Amino acid sequence: MTTGLECISVSKHFGAVKAVNDVSFEVPPGALHTVIGPNGAGKTTLFNCITSELKPTSGEVRFEGHVISGRKTHELPVFGVARSFQRTSIFSNLTVAQNVWVSAFRAFAGTRVEVLRPADAHPEVTETIYQTLEEVGLDRYANSPATELAHGDQRLLDFAIALAPKPKLLLLDEPTAGLSRSDTQRVMHLIESLKGRYTIVLIEHKMDVVMRISDRITVMYFGEVLAEGTPQEIRANPKVREAYLGRRA
Amino acid sequence: MTFLIASQLLNGLATGMLYALVGVGLTLVLGMLNIPNFAHGGLYAFGAYFTYTVVNLTGSFYIAVLIGPLLVILVAFLIESQGVRRLYAAHHDYQLLFLFAMALILQEAIILIWGPVGFSVLTPKALAGVVDLGFTVYPAYRLALIGITVLITVALWLFLTRTNVGAIVRAGMENREMVAVLGTDINRVFMWTFALGAYLAGLAGALATPIMGLTPSMGADMLPISFVIVVIAGLGSILGAIASGILIGIAQSMTTIWWPEASNIAIYVLMGLTIILRPQGLFGTR
Amino acid sequence: MQKLFSLPSLIVIALLIVGLPFVQRPVVAAEVLTLGIAAVATNLLLGYTGMLSFGQALFFGVGAYCAGVLATKYGISAFLAIPVAMLFSAVIAFLIGLVCVRRSGLYFIMITFAFNQMVFFIAYSWTTMTGGEDGLPGVRRPPLIDDQWSFYIFTVLVFICALCVMKLFVNSPTGRILQAIRDNPGRAAATGHDVGRYKLIAFVMAGMFTGLAGAIFAFVFGIVPIDKVDWRFSGDIVFMTLLGGSGSFIGPVIGAAFYTWLQETVSHYWDRWPMILGIVFALVVLFFRTGVAGMAEVLTGKLTQKGAGAKPKEMEAGS
Repeated sequence: MTTGLECISVSKHFGAVKAVNDVSFEVPPGALHTVIGPNGAGKTTLFNCITSELKPTSGEVRFEGHVISGRKTHELPVFGVARSFQRTSIFSNLTVAQNVWVSAFRAFAGTRVEVLRPADAHPEVTETIYQTLEEVGLDRYANSPATELAHGDQRLLDFAIALAPKPKLLLLDEPTAGLSRSDTQRVMHLIESLKGRYTIVLIEHKMDVVMRISDRITVMYFGEVLAEGTPQEIRANPKVREAYLGRRA
Repeated sequence: MTFLIASQLLNGLATGMLYALVGVGLTLVLGMLNIPNFAHGGLYAFGAYFTYTVVNLTGSFYIAVLIGPLLVILVAFLIESQGVRRLYAAHHDYQLLFLFAMALILQEAIILIWGPVGFSVLTPKALAGVVDLGFTVYPAYRLALIGITVLITVALWLFLTRTNVGAIVRAGMENREMVAVLGTDINRVFMWTFALGAYLAGLAGALATPIMGLTPSMGADMLPISFVIVVIAGLGSILGAIASGILIGIAQSMTTIWWPEASNIAIYVLMGLTIILRPQGLFGTR
Repeated sequence: MQKLFSLPSLIVIALLIVGLPFVQRPVVAAEVLTLGIAAVATNLLLGYTGMLSFGQALFFGVGAYCAGVLATKYGISAFLAIPVAMLFSAVIAFLIGLVCVRRSGLYFIMITFAFNQMVFFIAYSWTTMTGGEDGLPGVRRPPLIDDQWSFYIFTVLVFICALCVMKLFVNSPTGRILQAIRDNPGRAAATGHDVGRYKLIAFVMAGMFTGLAGAIFAFVFGIVPIDKVDWRFSGDIVFMTLLGGSGSFIGPVIGAAFYTWLQETVSHYWDRWPMILGIVFALVVLFFRTGVAGMAEVLTGKLTQKGAGAKPKEMEAGS
């Protein structure tokens, strides 16, 4: 029996401010769960608790039964956790392939420190890099400097770095933020192709995207869970309409 | 023994107040630019050397102490406008390295202008004697120095905490983006803060001349101590810099009684310990 | 088997090695190579990992004094003293690095500066060991390499070996991870790399090879002067790196050559040569941040991917 991601009564307080208050939800393996809510609802804070950038004031986050909250950032990949970033986060002085190498190598070599052989001496790593680049559609840019990529392609590179280690849990922070319509489509197609193979937790604002791809949705409001359910349930929920869906997303 | 301790304590207080001035000057710039000003020692030295020249020209130490530090402001304006300002857009490591280059240039400039040999400046006649304090007899100039620097520090404190301009300076030290967004011309605030920091360094240099004399390397000798002061104080804490300066001055003068060589190493050990154990410094909040 | 160095790099190295002892006295050419090792090592921190350290003179001095003391007080041959000094520098770098490397840029600068000053004052006060202000004299070379030319050849061999090892290092997975850390430490951590541990590795490598440079230096002039432990020399080493080009592997060697030329040649004509040094430094920071190597790359229109990145780059915002 494998459990997926479990958020168990997670709270994060900053002094008197309760940014996140007693939030719980479960994501079974292979499901796609989206967290939505107006600005200031606490989505990002919650997300940072899951990715270990913040330590919850109380409660914990578990993946496959292991506690992943409160750990050091670099420990999370060991549990098969990977994340992307809202503002594209890549290695600007490396090539596209070298960018993906950074995570692919870690998956291959673990914490082993290698100082003598060339960085590209492992064919298995190179294979993984090219597979991943093909999957996101960037293989023809493999040897280009990462900064020469178009804005939308750089976002795909961001995902490629997350995907290369073949993680089990994908945490995506507003994956379509700042993207044009066409780039948003590309990203959504990619995420849809990942459904089922990965457990995915998403923060997103674009409602059409959310409704189309989510298995379940958690709606946050002032740090608390306002509602949770399938897209249809959420769409029909009067509290949600009142608090959030009434306004254009 | 009490005579020795008492007079060393006062000596430490006197140098400590000078350190405090230098330290506050460095803190202002550190808070604004987020980098240590490697040229700070050079500005201190220029304050001393300008004072020396004005004393020779006018015969009055008091006029020299007034004018000398103001001339240092001119040097600071040059450095800020021609170098530091050009590098605001670049990574702040470059500003640091530019100021390091300036430290070199300033020291060589002193040798070019005033020669490689050190000088001394006579204590002004009115303050040349000693004062009987009861428990000890003590040089009048050093007492006056303590008094004056206390006054200056108080005036500075009032300026920073009670005036609008002072508030802007302190705000700029905390969060310069915010200040810029609020409509203040942040470049001018920088320029004047840099100038104020330089003024304090130059003033300390000027006041130090009768006690410590002048050598071209006095700037390079003062710089590391000013770094120690701000680190122990807490990067960004003005009150801390004052307290820390006095602390270091007294610690140095007291250690000289028992173990002279240790006084130098001790302050760097203190600096290292502070960074390791309490990185926000004794008084800092960052 | 990939080439270790690109062709342009090999040409520069060859020209330097062959040409230097004719432009300068062989002993000064040896000094250039020594400082070159220190500058390349410092660039492991600066250009590759994005860490600006103001403490490299500490390791240069530690290496120099260690080798010097072993040679003068215990009669140990250079062939043993130099490796021992290098090892000793590595240990010191490890201990200091444990405390320093996880600090942010500003604190890292201040703490490396503080340690540098501590070591300076220890060297200044421990006159029985280090000679204090006057330096440590009488460092004799082994008979085998005692004359100018054989010593120069010895230095060349060490220089080539050191460069090869450091180049292997930057080409390795660790080298690339350090560059990733320089470009984006948050992402590097998110992909699973222990940033603190890698920074420590870089710090030890830089300290170790700078210590090696110092150890050889002791035998270049037979004296260990105290100004080589001074904080100003730390800044000089950083500037050698920047001047030559922190975005290139061997660029720093060019910076070291220029620095030495100013110090050894120009100093004969003008006592105030440090003024020129300061002005050049200022100009580099203001206008030529990619250094000589960066300008060369632009001039030749090439954007080759050396280990340091895809295009001539300035220091990254890694600190």
